[in-house]
Amino acid sequence: MSHNASIPHRLIGQDAPPAPSLVRATFTVLWTPINGFLEWFGELGLFSWQVLRAAVRRPFEGQELLRQFDEIGSKSLPLVALAGAAIGFVLSLESRSSLVHFGAQSMLPAALVYSIIHETGPIVTGLVVSGRVGAGIGAELGSMKVTEQIDAIEASGVNPYKFLAFTRILACILVLPLLTMAADFCGVLFGWIAETAAAPVSFQRFVSQGFAGSSFKDFLAPTFRTLVFGLIIGMIGCFQGMRTRGGTAGVGLSATSSVVLSSLFVILADVILVKIILVFFS
Amino acid sequence: MSRTARLGAFVIVTLAILAAGVFIIGSKQYLFTPTYRLKAQFATVVGLDRGAEVRIGGVHTGTVREIDLPSKPNDKITVLMDLQQSTHGIVKQDSIASIETEGLLGNEYVAISFGTAQALNVKDNDTIGSEPPLVIADLMKKADGILDTSQQALTNVTVVTANLSSISGKINQGQGTIGALVNDKKVYTQLDETTAGLRDTVNHAQAGVTAFQENMEAMKSNFLVRGFYKKRGYENSADLEKNEIPQLPETAPLKTFTFDSKQLFDKQDNAKPKNQKSLRAAGQFLTDTEFGVAVIVVSTGATGDTQKDLVLTQARAMVVRDYLVGNFSFDDLQLKTLGRGKGTSDTPDSGWGTVAIIVYPADTEAHTQTSAANPK
Repeated sequence: MSHNASIPHRLIGQDAPPAPSLVRATFTVLWTPINGFLEWFGELGLFSWQVLRAAVRRPFEGQELLRQFDEIGSKSLPLVALAGAAIGFVLSLESRSSLVHFGAQSMLPAALVYSIIHETGPIVTGLVVSGRVGAGIGAELGSMKVTEQIDAIEASGVNPYKFLAFTRILACILVLPLLTMAADFCGVLFGWIAETAAAPVSFQRFVSQGFAGSSFKDFLAPTFRTLVFGLIIGMIGCFQGMRTRGGTAGVGLSATSSVVLSSLFVILADVILVKIILVFFS
Repeated sequence: MSRTARLGAFVIVTLAILAAGVFIIGSKQYLFTPTYRLKAQFATVVGLDRGAEVRIGGVHTGTVREIDLPSKPNDKITVLMDLQQSTHGIVKQDSIASIETEGLLGNEYVAISFGTAQALNVKDNDTIGSEPPLVIADLMKKADGILDTSQQALTNVTVVTANLSSISGKINQGQGTIGALVNDKKVYTQLDETTAGLRDTVNHAQAGVTAFQENMEAMKSNFLVRGFYKKRGYENSADLEKNEIPQLPETAPLKTFTFDSKQLFDKQDNAKPKNQKSLRAAGQFLTDTEFGVAVIVVSTGATGDTQKDLVLTQARAMVVRDYLVGNFSFDDLQLKTLGRGKGTSDTPDSGWGTVAIIVYPADTEAHTQTSAANPK
């Protein structure tokens, strides 16, 4: 105490003010979403790893895979076909009115086929499936999680990552290119119907003109990039479903977030995939 | 519908669509029909792509399979094409491949012309002839040049037209000679008469001159007159002053050869050469030595008519020069003549006059202009 004697008394006690709460609050506000984002990605990585590890182990769940094929593929077909048809019809009408300005309406079949096969078909299929299937998977697995069915499956000696997640993800991956082709076909067909209503042309001639100058790289690369869309949809749907917390409200939240996130990632992945295809296939 | 049946239908339908797509594109590229391969070489393929159409007589009958860049700069680009077997009867060894464009900006395709009936059939991997493609950019450049030129031409035409217009205006108003000629009948009649008269005169004069020339030529070789020219020593008086210089150079001479005219010429009053071999020493010197200019200076004796003597000296100089130039090899442009005319009485000779060949050193130049200070 003796060395404190020279310090004026009024200063003692005002020393060491409390930590500035404003800075800490700002930091917390900024950090929380970043932290959440990083945690989400970390959990997704762990989840993927567990699914992958489960996938390579026997037994393979063939029956469940077929059931998911039907659930995700066959039942999505009418929806995807209708979406493709509508898009083809609209594209045909719209491009016709703009091509007529340049006197280039004879280019319409090629323009329509090119745009449907290259971009519209795959992305529409990806978005429609992520809406229908992403929500379905998220809600189904979410309710299983909150009703502790997943724990029951695990307790009965079945790996839920294999039985529930991997079958759905694989089904999504395999089904998406097939659905894309259905969407492409309906798009071209209805594009022709719209075109022939304005200026009659045979379907054979329409297809012949539409595919003039196109090669396999125009057809196969864009169609099979939807394999990646399937992976994204299945993975995010299962992940959001299996990390559901907090009862029925959590189920709704999982369904919503799996649709939103899978649609978002499908579109983002499309940007990268189109660039990759342009670099490697042209 | 059972779940399995639904699933089967889904898979079959979508795979059928895949197969249809593959076959549509495959048939466009002739992947599933029997084909044979032809090659053609081009300096440029103007953006032709793999998979482009090959057309024979405008019908799509094949596809471009490969486009190979050459490995050496002198080689050409090779285009490999697959053609339907059915075209074997039309395409022959003399068919020509050319690269054409659909419309102005459309896709490029290869067009192959029909062969002639006599030509040999093509075999697989044969190379057929090609035509260089039309490059729009080159056309544009040419068209640009043509436009520039025609613009200049049009500008010129405009100027000419303006001049013509002005001239024709004046003519029409009767201004100037042509105007008078056109608008005044009297002038025209007079001019016409005058021109006719003039033409007659000229015709006569021309006939006269021609006849005279012929006579002269005849006379020169006539034995009666030939003696005159022979005695005189030269034929054409017009050549006398051809190589003459007005005065001697002022430089100190390199060497001087002096001869008495009596040794070289037949008579006192002519230029007929005699005993020219005595000029040899001079000729040899000119051949062996680098000299700037050499002058043959001739003068006569103190007797005789001044004017005649001048002509005589010029003629003698010319005759000597002709001999030297004709018998020795040196630059004849450097050998000049100078006819001095009537000499002075104190010249140490026989009275016939002298011939001197004065040789000047290499950097001397001959005066070709007549100097007023030193007339000849």
